[in-house]
Amino acid sequence: MGNVVNKKVYGFLHAFFNAGRWRKLWIFFALIGPGIITSNVDNDAGGITTYSLAGADYGLSLLWSLIPITGVLIVIQEMCARMGVVSGKGLSDLIRERFGARITFYLMIALFLTNLGNTISEFAGIAASMEIFGVGRYFSVPLSAAFVWWLVVKGNYKSVEKVFLFACFIYFSYIISGFMGKPDWHAVGSAFLHPVFRMDAGFLAMVVALVGTTIAPWMQFYLQSSVVDKGLKADDYPFTRLDVIFGSIMVNVIAFFIILLCAMTLFKNGIRIESAVDAAQALAPLAGEYAALLFAFGLLNASLFAASILPISTAYTICEAFGWEASLDKKFLQAPQFYSLYTLMIFLGAGLILMPDMPLIRIMFYSQVINGALLPVILVFMLLLVNDRRIMGKYVNGKIMNVISWLTVIVLMLLSLAMIFFSLFT
Amino acid sequence: MANTIPNYQNFQLFIFFSELLGKTIVDPEGNAVGRILDLIINIEGTYPRVTGVQLRLKSNRRTVVFSCLDFSFSDGHFTAQFTGEDFPAEKEPVPSELMLKEALLDKQVVDTDGAKIRRVNDLQFLIANDELYLVHVDVGFQGLLRRVGLKPLFGFVLHALFDYEMADQLVSWKFVQMISSPDLLRLTIAQNRLAQLHPADLADIIEELDIHQRKAVFNALDIETAAETLEETDPKVQVSLIEGLSTEDASDIIEEMSLSEAADLLGDLSPEKAEGILNEMERDAAEDMKELLAHPEEMAGGLMTTAYPSFPPTCTVADALKTIRGDIDDLDLIYYSYVVDDHERLLGVVSLRELLAAEPEALLSELMDTRVVFVNIEEKKGQIAADFFKYGLLAIPVVDDDEQLKGIILFKNLLEVIAAKLGR
Repeated sequence: MGNVVNKKVYGFLHAFFNAGRWRKLWIFFALIGPGIITSNVDNDAGGITTYSLAGADYGLSLLWSLIPITGVLIVIQEMCARMGVVSGKGLSDLIRERFGARITFYLMIALFLTNLGNTISEFAGIAASMEIFGVGRYFSVPLSAAFVWWLVVKGNYKSVEKVFLFACFIYFSYIISGFMGKPDWHAVGSAFLHPVFRMDAGFLAMVVALVGTTIAPWMQFYLQSSVVDKGLKADDYPFTRLDVIFGSIMVNVIAFFIILLCAMTLFKNGIRIESAVDAAQALAPLAGEYAALLFAFGLLNASLFAASILPISTAYTICEAFGWEASLDKKFLQAPQFYSLYTLMIFLGAGLILMPDMPLIRIMFYSQVINGALLPVILVFMLLLVNDRRIMGKYVNGKIMNVISWLTVIVLMLLSLAMIFFSLFT
Repeated sequence: MANTIPNYQNFQLFIFFSELLGKTIVDPEGNAVGRILDLIINIEGTYPRVTGVQLRLKSNRRTVVFSCLDFSFSDGHFTAQFTGEDFPAEKEPVPSELMLKEALLDKQVVDTDGAKIRRVNDLQFLIANDELYLVHVDVGFQGLLRRVGLKPLFGFVLHALFDYEMADQLVSWKFVQMISSPDLLRLTIAQNRLAQLHPADLADIIEELDIHQRKAVFNALDIETAAETLEETDPKVQVSLIEGLSTEDASDIIEEMSLSEAADLLGDLSPEKAEGILNEMERDAAEDMKELLAHPEEMAGGLMTTAYPSFPPTCTVADALKTIRGDIDDLDLIYYSYVVDDHERLLGVVSLRELLAAEPEALLSELMDTRVVFVNIEEKKGQIAADFFKYGLLAIPVVDDDEQLKGIILFKNLLEVIAAKLGR
C-alpha cells in the first residue's frame, strides 16, 4: 500500500520536474549571472547621481527615455554576450587579433583612464554615502579599498559571483524607497504616454548623460569576459540572452524608481541638488528618514559593487590584450603586470579621494568625456567583429539586427559627440 | 686593403616583421613595384622560409601575392627585389604555406619551452643567402612598443630616468606551437611541439585557451598524452573536452586514464554520454568502472581504484613479481601487494621493497605485514586524509562491511581533497 503511494508521489515529482519548463527554469538559474551583474554594476555612483538629477531637475518628463535606453542596452549587450559565447574570447582579445597592436595599445590606455575615472567616482560615492551614516571618509575609504581587495583576491569566481548577485538584490532598496515617495501613478502613466522632448541645452545634456551612464565602454569588456569565464557554450546561448535582457530591464526599473522618487519629492518642492548624497539628505524631511537611509544605503552598495568590479575588469582586459599572465591563481611575481594594474587602480581610485583639495568634480567630468569619446570607437569595433564570419560563423548579425545595431551605434555616436560638446563648451 | 673589409657596422643579419611591413619592393630595373602587406612562409623545416609576399601594387593599388624575391642588405639598407625572368609571377596557394599576419601576428601561441601561452608581438627573420627565415617570435614588451612605434620614446625615458635598457623577449621558433586555428594545428601535426610539454603543463595551457583552441589542441594530442593531460585538467574542462568527442574516441582516451580518475570523470558526464562510453569500453574495464561509479565521490568508495595487485597467501614472491610485471600497464599502483583469502578478505600487505629483497621462492604469507591500515568503503574523505597523514602511506586499502577488499585509495587522488584545504 505504502509502496503504491510512494510510487505515485515519485511519479508525480518526476513528471513535474521533467516538464520542460521547470527544467529550463533550473538551467536558467544555473546560467544567469553575467548579464544581470553587468547591468547592475552599471547603476553605479555616477548612474544614481544622474538619475537623481534627472528626477530632481526635470520631474517625470524624462521617464520615457528609459524605454529606448533599455532597448539600446539590450541590443548592445546581446551582441557582446553572443561574441563571448561563440568565440570563447574576450573583447580585447578579439580587438587585438583583428585590429593589431597599435590600435589596441591606444585603446587600452584610453580604457584605463576612463575606468580609473569611474573607479574614483565609485570611491567618492562610498565616502559620501558613509558620511550620511556618520562614518568619516578617512576611515570608510581605506576600509572599503581593503574590502574590495580581499573580496576579489581571496574569493574565487563562483563565490564572488554569489556575493555580486546578492548585491544586485540590494538595489531593491531603491524600489522600496521609491514607494515611500508616495508616487502619483496617474502622472507616471501620462509621462510615459506623452513623451516630452525639448531642444534646450540642459535638457539635451541630461538625455545624453542618462544614455552615457547606462552604456559605458568597460561594460562590453566585462560582460564578454564573464560570459567566457563562465564557460557558456553556444547551446546555452538562449539563456544568456534572457540573462542579458532581464538584467537590462532590471537596471532601468531601478533607474525608474530613483527618478520617480526624486521627481515626487525634490522636483515637486523645487529643491535643487548637486549629487546623489544631496538627494539622500534632502529626502529625509520629504519622504521620511527611512527612505533617505535606504537611498544612501543603495548608493553605498552600488559604489562598493562597482568598485569591486572595475579595477579587476580593467586589469583582465588590458592583460588579455597584451598577452600578459592574468589570473588570481597566480602569485604576484608570476603575473606582475596584472597585479600592478589592479593595485594601481584601487590605490589611485581610493587614494585620490583622500587627497585634500582634489578637484574631484573635474576628474569625474573628464572621465565622463573620455567615456563618451571611447564608446563609439568600441561600438564600431564590436559591430565589425560581430559581423566577421571567421569569428562568428553562422552567428553573425542578421540583416534586421544589423540595421538596428548600426542605427543604435549612429545615434549613440551622435549623443556621445553631443556629450563631449556639452562637457567641453558649457 | 681597407675597402675589402665588409662594413660590419651596417651589417645586419636579423630583421623584424614590423620593419618589413610597408617596405617598398623594387623590380630588377630598380623601379618601385609596391609595398609589402604580408609575407608568406612555408612551415616545413625547422625554420620556415619566406616564399612569397603580398603586395599592394603601386600602379593600380591592387593586392597581389608574388613569389620570387631576393632579400639583401647593402650599405645598411634592406632591399627586397624581384628576380628571375618570369616576373611578375602571381603565386598559387600551397597547402603548407601560410600568411604571417593572418596566422601569427597578434595571435596566441604556445611557448613549449616556457610552458606558457604567449601573444605574438613581432616576428624576427634571419637573412641568409638572399632568403628570409623565420627564427624567433617576439613576445616581449619591447616588441609591442616597436609595433606601436613608441619604442624610441620609451627607450629614451627608461634610460634617462632609471638607466634601464629594455631587452627583447624572443622565443625560438623551435619552441613555438601555433594554435590560432584548427587548420594550423592540422598543418603542423607532423612537427607537433605540444608533445614536448609535461601533461600537467599542457593541462594548465588547455584550461587557459578558448573553447575552440582547447578542442583543437586536445584533438591534436595522441591518446596516451591526451589521457595523461585529461587527468590533470579541471573537472569542468574535462567534461567539455569529452563531450566534444565521439563516443569511440572518448572511450579510447578514458580507458588510458587511471581507473579512479576515469570514474570521477564519467560521474561528471551526462548519463547518456557516460552510458555510451561505458558500452564502447572493454568489458572488464567497464565492469570496474561501473562498480566505482556506484559510490559517492566524497566517500572512500568514490575515491578508490580497483587496479592494484592482490595475491593469495600461498603465492610465491617470484610469481607475484611476474604477475606485477605482466600487468604493469593496467595497474595504478605497484608499491603494495595486498594478500587476500579465498573470500577476498584482506589478510596483509607486502611492499615492493620487501618483494625485491626476499628470496624468489618465499611465500607471501611469510613476508606479509598483518597490521594493515584500512578504511571502510563509506569512510569520509576527511578521516581518510587523517589516516594518510598519520601512517605516511602511499595507498590505503578499502574494505566493505564483510572485510572484503574492494579497492585502494592512492595518495595522489586524495591530494585533490587536501589541496582544497591548502587554499589552492
